[in-house]
Amino acid sequence: MVIVKRKTLTLAERLYLPEILRGMSITFGKMFKPKITRQYPEEPLPTNEVTRGQPRLRALVDGNLACVSCGLCEAACPAYAITIDGQETDRFIEREPEKFEIDMLRCILCGFCEEACPKEAIFMSTELELAGFTRASFKYGIDKLKRSTEELAPRMEYIKRINQRW
Amino acid sequence: MNPFLIILIKTSVIYGGLIGAAALMTLAERKFSAWMQLRHGPNRVGPWGLLQPLADGIKFIFKEELCPDGANPWIFRLAPILSAVPAMLTVAVIPFAGNVTLFGVDFGNLSITDLDIGVLFLVAIGGLSVYGVILGGWASNSKYSLLGGLRASAQMISYELSLILIILCVVAMTGSLDLRAITEAQNTGNPLSWNVFSQPLAFLIFVIATFAETNRHPFDFAECEPELVAGFHTEYSSMKFALFFLGEYCAMIVMACLTATLFLGGYSVPFWEDAPWFIQLGTFFAKAGFFAFLFIWVRWTLPRFRFDQLMHLGWKVFLPLALANLLVTGAVISLA
Repeated sequence: MVIVKRKTLTLAERLYLPEILRGMSITFGKMFKPKITRQYPEEPLPTNEVTRGQPRLRALVDGNLACVSCGLCEAACPAYAITIDGQETDRFIEREPEKFEIDMLRCILCGFCEEACPKEAIFMSTELELAGFTRASFKYGIDKLKRSTEELAPRMEYIKRINQRW
Repeated sequence: MNPFLIILIKTSVIYGGLIGAAALMTLAERKFSAWMQLRHGPNRVGPWGLLQPLADGIKFIFKEELCPDGANPWIFRLAPILSAVPAMLTVAVIPFAGNVTLFGVDFGNLSITDLDIGVLFLVAIGGLSVYGVILGGWASNSKYSLLGGLRASAQMISYELSLILIILCVVAMTGSLDLRAITEAQNTGNPLSWNVFSQPLAFLIFVIATFAETNRHPFDFAECEPELVAGFHTEYSSMKFALFFLGEYCAMIVMACLTATLFLGGYSVPFWEDAPWFIQLGTFFAKAGFFAFLFIWVRWTLPRFRFDQLMHLGWKVFLPLALANLLVTGAVISLA
C-alpha cells in the first residue's frame, strides 16, 4: 500500500491571495512577450527547395515545355490526377503534349510524377495555396502549370543532388 | 439653456458611453486574453481589430432567433431584458466628474442624477439582475439552464449580502448614501483620505465579492462550460444572447465604477483638490479602467472554484469578516 503524503498548506497558501498575486504577475508578464501566432496571409509559410508543393511543368528557355508526353508520370500517379494527350511536333524532341491536365483536387502531392519524369519536365513547386469556386477550376491545364526554368531551378538542383547519392 | 435639454444630453452621452464601453470591453476581453496566451487576438476588422464589436453585433442580429419547445415564450423573451436593463440603469447614479462647463454652457455635475439614496438605488436595481438569470434558466426548459440559473442566483444572493455590508461600512464613514457626497468626502487632495487606506479589508472583500456578483471568473458558476454547457443562456441565440452579454459587461463596468467611487475616491485627483472636470473624468476612467482590466486579468489567470468552496467562502468567511468590519467601523466612528 502506498501512503500518499499530502503537503500541509501554510497560512499564506490557505489564504489564496499571495498565490493568486503570483499567478497574476505571470499572466501580466506574458502580455508583453512576443506572440507566437503566424499571421498567415501576410506572413506566408517559409518554403525552400525541400518543400513538396503542387506539381508544375518546366518550360525551356524558348518557352516550349520540356515534356515529351511519354506518359510515365501519368502511369506513376497513384491518384490518377494526370491526363496527357500527346501530339507530334517539328521540334527536335518530336513529341509534345497537346493537353496536359492535372486535377488538383485529386493530386495528393506525393511527388511520384517528379521521380518518374525522364526529361526533368515536371517538378514539385513551392506553391501551396489552392482555392477556387468550382470543381472545374481545379483542373489545371498547361497555361496554369507552366513555369520558367529559373522558377523551378532550386528544386531541380535539389533533385539532382538527391539522385546523385545512388 | 433648457434644463430638460441638459439632462437629455447628459443621459445620451453617458448611456452612449456605457454601451460603447461595454462593446470595447468585449474586444478588450479577447485582446487581453490573447496576449496572455501569446496570441494576437482579433486584428482583422478595422485598425487593431477596433471594429470587431461592430462585426459581432451585425453577426448577432442576423442569427436565427430560436425558442425551444416547451419553453415559456414570454418569460423566455423577458429574461434577457431583465438581465440587461437593470445593469444599464445603475450607471445613472455614478458621479463621473465635478461641474462641467462646455462652450459656455453650465451642464452641472457630470452624472445623470445625484440621488440622495444613490447607493440604495444602485444596490436595489442591481439586485434585480438575478431575475434575468434565474428566469432565463427556468424558462428555457432545459436542465443545464435551470441548474446554471439556480446556482447563479444562489451565488449572487449570498455575495450580495457581504457586498452590501461592505458598502454600509463606507456609508457609515461618510454618513451619506449619496455617491457624490461619498466621493467629495474623499476628495481632499490627499490620496491617503481614500477609503481604500482606512478600509483595506473591506476593499479586498468588496473586490472579490464583485467578481461573484457579476458572475465572473473564478466564480462563473452561471456559465461553467465544462459542467453546464453554458448555463442559463444555453438555449439563447441571436440578439437575446447578445443582451445577456451586454448586461454582463455593463454590470462589470458599473461595478468597476462603483469600486473606484467607494474606495479610490472616484474622480478625486491626487494632490489637486479642485481639478478641472476633464482631468477628473480622466482620473475616474483610469481608476475604473483598472478594475475593468482586473476583471479580465483575473479571468484569464485563475481556474474556477468548486461550488461548495464558493458557498463556504461566501457564508463562512466573507459574511463574518464583513460583519466584524462593520462592527469595528461603527465602534471607531461612535468613539471618535
